[in-house]
Amino acid sequence: MFPEEVLEHVFSFLNSHTDRNTASLVCKSWYEMERWCRKRVFIGNCYAVNPRVVIRRFPEVKSVELKGKPHFADFNLVPEGWGGYVYPWIVEIARAYPWLEEIRLKRMVVTDECLEIVAKSFRNFRVLVLESCEGFSTDGLAAVAANCRNLRVLDLRECEVEELSGHWLSHFPDSFTSLESLNMACLGSEVSFSALERLVARSPNLKTLRLNRTVPIEKLSTLLQRAPQLVDFGTGAYSAEIRQDVYSRLADAFSRSKNLKSLSGFWDVTPAYLPAIYSVCSQLTSLNLSYAATRSPDLTKIVSQCYNLQRLVVLDYIEDTGLNTVSMSCKDLRELVVFPSDPFVGEVDVLLTEQGLVSVSQGCSKLQSVLYFCHQMSNSALISISKNRPNLTCFRLCIIEPRVPDYVTHEPLDVGFGSIVENCKQLTRLSMSGLLTDRVFEYIGTHAKNLDMLSIAFAGDSDLGLHHVLSGCDSLRKLEIRDCPFGDKALLANASKLEKMRSLWMSSCLVSFGACKLLGQKMPGLNVEVIDERENVNSLPEYVPVEKVYIYRTVSGQRFDTPDFVRIMGKDKDDLFSDKGLKVAVLFCSNFGTFRPCCCTRSRSL
Amino acid sequence: MDVTLGLLPDSPAGDDGGGVPSGGSTTVKSILTKEDNNKNNMVMCSEVSSSYPVGDQNLGDLELGLGLSIGGGGGGGLKGKVVAGGGGWSQYARILTAKDFKQNSCSSSSCSVSIPNSATDSVSPTNGNSVVGWPPVSKAHRMPSLANENKSPTGNRISVTEQTKSKNRTVVINDYSNEKARISDKKYRSVKVNMDGSLIGRKVDLNAHTSYEMLAQTLEEMFFRRRSSTEAAKSSRLLDGTSEFVLTYEDKDGDCMLVGDVPWQMFLSSVKRLRIMKNSESNELAPRFQESHERRRTDVV
Repeated sequence: MFPEEVLEHVFSFLNSHTDRNTASLVCKSWYEMERWCRKRVFIGNCYAVNPRVVIRRFPEVKSVELKGKPHFADFNLVPEGWGGYVYPWIVEIARAYPWLEEIRLKRMVVTDECLEIVAKSFRNFRVLVLESCEGFSTDGLAAVAANCRNLRVLDLRECEVEELSGHWLSHFPDSFTSLESLNMACLGSEVSFSALERLVARSPNLKTLRLNRTVPIEKLSTLLQRAPQLVDFGTGAYSAEIRQDVYSRLADAFSRSKNLKSLSGFWDVTPAYLPAIYSVCSQLTSLNLSYAATRSPDLTKIVSQCYNLQRLVVLDYIEDTGLNTVSMSCKDLRELVVFPSDPFVGEVDVLLTEQGLVSVSQGCSKLQSVLYFCHQMSNSALISISKNRPNLTCFRLCIIEPRVPDYVTHEPLDVGFGSIVENCKQLTRLSMSGLLTDRVFEYIGTHAKNLDMLSIAFAGDSDLGLHHVLSGCDSLRKLEIRDCPFGDKALLANASKLEKMRSLWMSSCLVSFGACKLLGQKMPGLNVEVIDERENVNSLPEYVPVEKVYIYRTVSGQRFDTPDFVRIMGKDKDDLFSDKGLKVAVLFCSNFGTFRPCCCTRSRSL
Repeated sequence: MDVTLGLLPDSPAGDDGGGVPSGGSTTVKSILTKEDNNKNNMVMCSEVSSSYPVGDQNLGDLELGLGLSIGGGGGGGLKGKVVAGGGGWSQYARILTAKDFKQNSCSSSSCSVSIPNSATDSVSPTNGNSVVGWPPVSKAHRMPSLANENKSPTGNRISVTEQTKSKNRTVVINDYSNEKARISDKKYRSVKVNMDGSLIGRKVDLNAHTSYEMLAQTLEEMFFRRRSSTEAAKSSRLLDGTSEFVLTYEDKDGDCMLVGDVPWQMFLSSVKRLRIMKNSESNELAPRFQESHERRRTDVV
C-alpha cells in the first residue's frame, strides 16, 4: 500500500477523466484518494447526475465542464424550452466551490442571473467558455467583465446572445490586465472599439482574440500592432473599398505578427485584401475560411502557402482543384472541414465532388478528422479513402440530398461505408448519409468496435439495422438517429445496452409510445424522454410512433424542469399498461441476430 | 426499385386487400430475402392488441418477420404486414421517403426536377429544403450564398424553419391531405433592430405587427421617441423616404434589402434582422436595393 502522498502524486499525472474514473474503481482507498484530489469534473449530460452528488464526491474541484442539450439541437431538432438549464448547477457550485476557477458549458441555457452569480461567487475565477449556449445578454457579460478580476479566458463560441448594448466590454476595469483569450465572434452588434483597443493594449498575455463581424478591416492593423504576441486571431468583416493605405497597413501588421498560428473570421471578404495574410500563411496551423464567400482561385492561392497547416475549415467554394492543392501543399493536415455554401439549393453550382476528399486522403498522410458536405459520392471513392487513410478517427460525410445512391453504380453506399469502418480501426466518430440499407449497419456492428459516436439519417430498412448497431458496437456511447425506420423491437431487445451509453436520440422513427413507456418502467437507470409537440398527443394510442425520443442514463432520476411537450415515460407508479394500449411482449434470446420467442404473454406484464 | 419503409407487426393479420398507407407502396424484397435461406432468419415475436377497429384478436396467429412492405403480399419468405383500415399509425406520422421529396419539390412554384446520375428514387428539392434540420449545418455555419440567382419565392412552400432558431416549433412534414402543414407556427418572433450610429440594439416582435406601417411606427417610437398619437394620420417617415434614415433588413440569404418591396407575409418569412440605415450609406447596398431605392425616390417625387 502506498502512502497517500505517493498516490496523490501519481494521480496528479492522470488527467483524462476516463483514466481517473478507472483508477477510482480499483479499490476503496483509491476511490477515496482520487476523489479528494480530482480538480476537474466533466459531466457529459447535465441530467445524468445531480449537482449535490457531484459536490459530495469531489470536494476540491477547480474546473467544471457540463453539457446540456443533445447534439441535434444544433440543427433545430430540439424545441425551445426543452431544458439544459445551468442555473441549478451554478447555485450549488457557487456555494460549494468558492475557489472554482473554470466553467465550461456546452449547449446549455445560461441566464444573466447565472453569469452574475458566477461573477460574484468565485474569487479566483479564470476561465469561462460558453459553447452553443443561449439565454443570456450583454448585461450578463458586463457583470463578468466588471467582477472577475482574474479572468483569463472569455470564450463565446457560437452562442446566441441578446445584445442590449455594446458597452459591456467597457466594464473591464482599467486595472484588469490578465486577459489571455477573448472570443466574441458570435456577437452581431458593435462593441465600443476604443474600449476594445484599450483592453487589448493592457493585456500583455493576450494570445487569442476573435473579433466579431462589426469590427471593420481598417481597425485590424491597430489591434494587431497592439498585440504582437497574438497566436490566434479572428478578423471581423474583411471587406472595404480597396484602398492602398489600408491594405499596406494591414499587410504590414500581419507580417509583424510572428506568433500568429491561427486565423479565422473573414466575413464578407473582399478578395483584394486576402493577400495581406500571405506573409503569415506558412506559420499557420489552423485556418478557418468558412465565412469567406470567395471563389476557388483566391482560396487555393492561400492554402498553397500553408505548409504547416493542421486544421482547415472552408466552404465548398474551394472546389476539387483547391483540395488538390491542399493535398500537395498541406502535408501536415490533421483535420479537414468543408461546409456547403448554399445548403438549401439542389442545383450544384460549385465544383466540389467526392474527388476533392479522395485527393486529400491520398496526399495528407496525417489526416484524422473529416467533416465533408458534398452532393455526390461513390462506393469506390469511399473505399479509396478508407484504404488511403486507415488512421481516420472521425469521419463525417454529409451528402446533401438524402438517400442518394452511388452516383456511378446507383447502388446503396453500404459497401463504401463498410470499407470505412473495416479499414479505419481507430474510428471513434462516424456520420453517414446517402442511400443506406440494413447491410451497412451489419458492417458497422461487425467492425466498428471503437466507435464512440454514430449519427444516422434517412437510412436503413428495418429494426435489424438498429439491432446490429446496438448489439455490435462495443464502445458506442452516443447514438443519434433521425428519419429511419427503426422501431420498438431493436430498442427493447437492446435495452441493457442503453445503460452503457450516454444517450440515444431518435426522431421521426417508428418508436411507439408504448415501447417508450415500457422502457422507462423496466429501466430505472434510464430517463426515456418523449418529446412530442402535437396538440392531440394525450389522446394518441400507444402504438403510434412518437415524434422524438431522447433516452439517457442517469443516477438522478427523472428531472422536473420539463416543458409540457416533454414526457418522461414510465416513471409513475400508476403508469402500468392501459387497456387500450399496446401490449408488447418482446422477449429474446440474446444470440447475435436471432430472436427466438421465449414466451408470449398477453395479459401478464413483464 | 421503390424503397418503402414500414413498421413491423402493428396489427394482426387483417388483410384488407387494398389497404395501403398513404404513399402507395409496393412490395419490396429486402436485402435479407437473398440470405433468407440461411441462418439469418430474423424472427421476432410481438403481440399486439389495440383498440384499433380490427375485429377479434387473432393472436394465436403471430405475424413474424422483418418485412419491409406494408400492403400487398410479402416477398420470398417474408410475410408482408398489412395495415388494417385507414392506415394504422401512418396517419399520425410518417417517415419521409423519396416520394416526399418529389412531392414537395414539385409543389413549389418553379420546379425543375434534376436527377443527376442518380437512381430515379431520389429527386433533389431544387427550391430549398423542406426538411427541418437538414442538411445538418448549425446556424453559425450557414452562409449567405455568393450568387443571388435562384432565389425561390417563400410564400407558398413550407418555410425553412432552421433559419430562425429561437422560439420555433419544429415543422413536421406530413403528407396526408387532411392535415395542413404548419408553417412557422411561431407565437412570438422577435428580430433584432440596429440603427446606424447607435450602439444599442433593440428587438421587435414581428408577429405583433400586421403591416409595414405598423412596424415602422413601432420602430419610430423605439428609436426616435416619436409619439404615435401625434403621427397617427401620417404615413411613416421611415417608409416613405422623407427621413434621413431608411429601413432595411437582412434576409435569409444575407442580402440587405429595402423594407416594403415584397408582400408582408413574404417579408416575414425571409427577414432575419432589421437595420435602420443612414440614407448616405444606402449606396453601398446590393444593386437590387439601389434600383428599388431609386425607384422609390422618384415615386415620392
